[in-house]
Amino acid sequence: MRIILAAAAVVMLAALAFAAPWLQFVLTLAIAKGFAALGVAVLLRAGLISIGHAMFFAASAYGAAFLARAGINDLGLLLILSVLVSALIGAIAGSFLVRYRAIFFAMLNLAVSMVFYALCAKLYGVTGGTDGLPVPIPAVFGIVFAEPVFKSILFYLSLMLMVLVGLVVHRYLDSPLGHALSAVHSNEIRLEYLGIPVWAVLLIAYTISAALAGLGGAIAGLAIGRVVPDFAFWTASGHLVLIAVLGGIGGVPGAFIGALFLELLHSAAVTVTDAWNLFVGITLIVVIMFMPQGIYGLFERKEAQSS
Amino acid sequence: MAFNGISIVFARCLSLLQLLFRLDRGLPPANRRLVVDGLAGALAIGLVATTPVAAQDKPSSVGLGVFTFTSGPAAAYGMPGKNAADLMIDEINAKGGIGGVPVTATYVDEAQGAQGVIAEYRRLAGDAKNQVMVAALSSATCLALAPIAEQLEVPTVGWNCDTHQLLIDGKSKYVFRPNGNTVPEFIAYAIYLLDRKPDVKTVAIINPDYAFGHDAAKIFTAALKALKPDIEIVAELYPKLGSPNYQTEISRLTTARPDVVFSNLWGADLENFVRQATPRGLFTSSQVILALGETVLQRVPLPDGVIVGVLGDGWWMSPDAKANPETVKFAEAYKSRFGEYPVFPSIKMANTLIYVKAAYEAAMQKNGGKWPTRAELADAMKGSKVATLTGIVQTRADNDGLVDQIVGVTLKTSAQPFPVIGDMVRYKGDSLLPQAGQDPLAWISTLKPEFAKGLPKPGSYKIGER
Repeated sequence: MRIILAAAAVVMLAALAFAAPWLQFVLTLAIAKGFAALGVAVLLRAGLISIGHAMFFAASAYGAAFLARAGINDLGLLLILSVLVSALIGAIAGSFLVRYRAIFFAMLNLAVSMVFYALCAKLYGVTGGTDGLPVPIPAVFGIVFAEPVFKSILFYLSLMLMVLVGLVVHRYLDSPLGHALSAVHSNEIRLEYLGIPVWAVLLIAYTISAALAGLGGAIAGLAIGRVVPDFAFWTASGHLVLIAVLGGIGGVPGAFIGALFLELLHSAAVTVTDAWNLFVGITLIVVIMFMPQGIYGLFERKEAQSS
Repeated sequence: MAFNGISIVFARCLSLLQLLFRLDRGLPPANRRLVVDGLAGALAIGLVATTPVAAQDKPSSVGLGVFTFTSGPAAAYGMPGKNAADLMIDEINAKGGIGGVPVTATYVDEAQGAQGVIAEYRRLAGDAKNQVMVAALSSATCLALAPIAEQLEVPTVGWNCDTHQLLIDGKSKYVFRPNGNTVPEFIAYAIYLLDRKPDVKTVAIINPDYAFGHDAAKIFTAALKALKPDIEIVAELYPKLGSPNYQTEISRLTTARPDVVFSNLWGADLENFVRQATPRGLFTSSQVILALGETVLQRVPLPDGVIVGVLGDGWWMSPDAKANPETVKFAEAYKSRFGEYPVFPSIKMANTLIYVKAAYEAAMQKNGGKWPTRAELADAMKGSKVATLTGIVQTRADNDGLVDQIVGVTLKTSAQPFPVIGDMVRYKGDSLLPQAGQDPLAWISTLKPEFAKGLPKPGSYKIGER
């Protein structure tokens, strides 16, 4: 039942983008943010809130811009390398950040990401300052496509990646390493007594979550065609946490549901009113008040009832 | 039309949530309904999006996507633009619209960031009714939209976006900026300053901390150094955009005691800075240049003798503007509707709309009265020469606009309760701009002190002269 529903949703997304070409961009972005929110959700399982994941999102997008400038002009290579860049930064930052918990973890993530933001905005000669850097359209397996075709390829690739990466992350969360995350949340000391190194468990989770945010960032950078420091601003990080909580951290689809919901809501709100922020905010309050488990929580609850 | 599609999908999404809520209370599942609803929504959007529109038929209305800041701190600059667009479109429609077709604008808020703006741009471009986009205010937005405009082949007219990077490669086919760029805008201040105060030795700069502030500092400094090599920059301060407090910066400026303080702060930042700097004597100890000073003339009491300008020719009280009955009418209508006279962002927007209208008319004249396509409109903008409310804008081969630059000093008169601009100069647009394709900063460094000799002098731009 759940698989049918998920397959129907993916088919619907594919059809929606096919039917309304402009929605394709919105959906690509939503999926990109979904990846990043999934990264945040992985850490949320261990009870760690990162208000700094936009850093990895931006790092990978900047990575794509720099790699393209250095002459790497292949979509697959760009995606893989920029994800590696963000995973590497994640491993480095994670090595000291995962020693902290609760508010300290959240604040330190925020601090590190804002340092990164400031560097992007201030190093005019390198990063182009607030005007940012262009991300040109790369070739796909050596073939150069026109812009609309490339954007379609990017969208369907992201859709495919969403399913594949989603399955992999699902497996990871279901593995001992993944279950150790919730164990960290409930009783960290007992975990240490069982002989499981909490530091390593969290560092792996942190690196994976940074790589996920990086994958989102690379897709977003390619879709938008330009990276600006705002990608790394703390409000962007907050946005990712919001998506994760809104969608629900109970399962992998939650992050993507949250991202799609928020992006479509945003698109609809800006067409109606200048006060789109108000509109989005009110809807969020309503959703959070009446669906504390997130949107995905509803599906899960229903599933539990019917079985 | 696309909006209907979205609302349908949204209604469906909401009904989905409602369904799920009810499910929780034990009602029978209705998943199929949910999937069917979603597909119906997709289909509805699809039908709307793929309905063919014959380009040569006259549409029921001329759609314009107008991109500006309508929320956040940058709305201080963006709202005067939006107000002017509202008024100008009403005026155009009162005269029968464009080719007999009324104009309607869809406003897009740039405060939502590049991602949201691009999504909106694509949505509007997907509707064949929206043939031209007026985009945008922020340079970052324009730089992000430019490649998309080229790819989607939608004529996109920048009403502000004055970064010199925008059209620098000279390859733009669909991106136009009938409004000048940062290079002539800030060179003009250097020339005016050296004409007015030839013995300047020390200069301090206080600009907002983002690309516009840094670019302006670079251009202004380079021009000063080229025209008067012994000038020394004694302080360069970049307060954060939206700072409420400038006391530290003002202390630095007053202790450095520079001959000249240059600033391109704007909006609430500029108002705050002026209010805090005036009591501390900055305006008496140094010659202050406020590059965007005209925008606050009606709001804060600026002392006499501050060098201000309008980043172009768009001052509603300039001799050319006063001589044009259209401009006088526009300014009065603006005042009666919005309670203030137009500031130069308003005039930039109004002029841009005139530019777009002229392109429609030229394109229709060229193809024998048929409704023009997007490509024909872009063609009509190429190399065009359009009379605006405040002067003439000439489109160069690289799609950059040549507009004159007006600079002057604040001056109290009995005619107005607020200071106006006096001792004005009007530099010809092409005299301050490098040739198309030339690197602007390299060009500035080649300027010689003699360069300024051939240009008009302060006070030369008066009523009755052009």
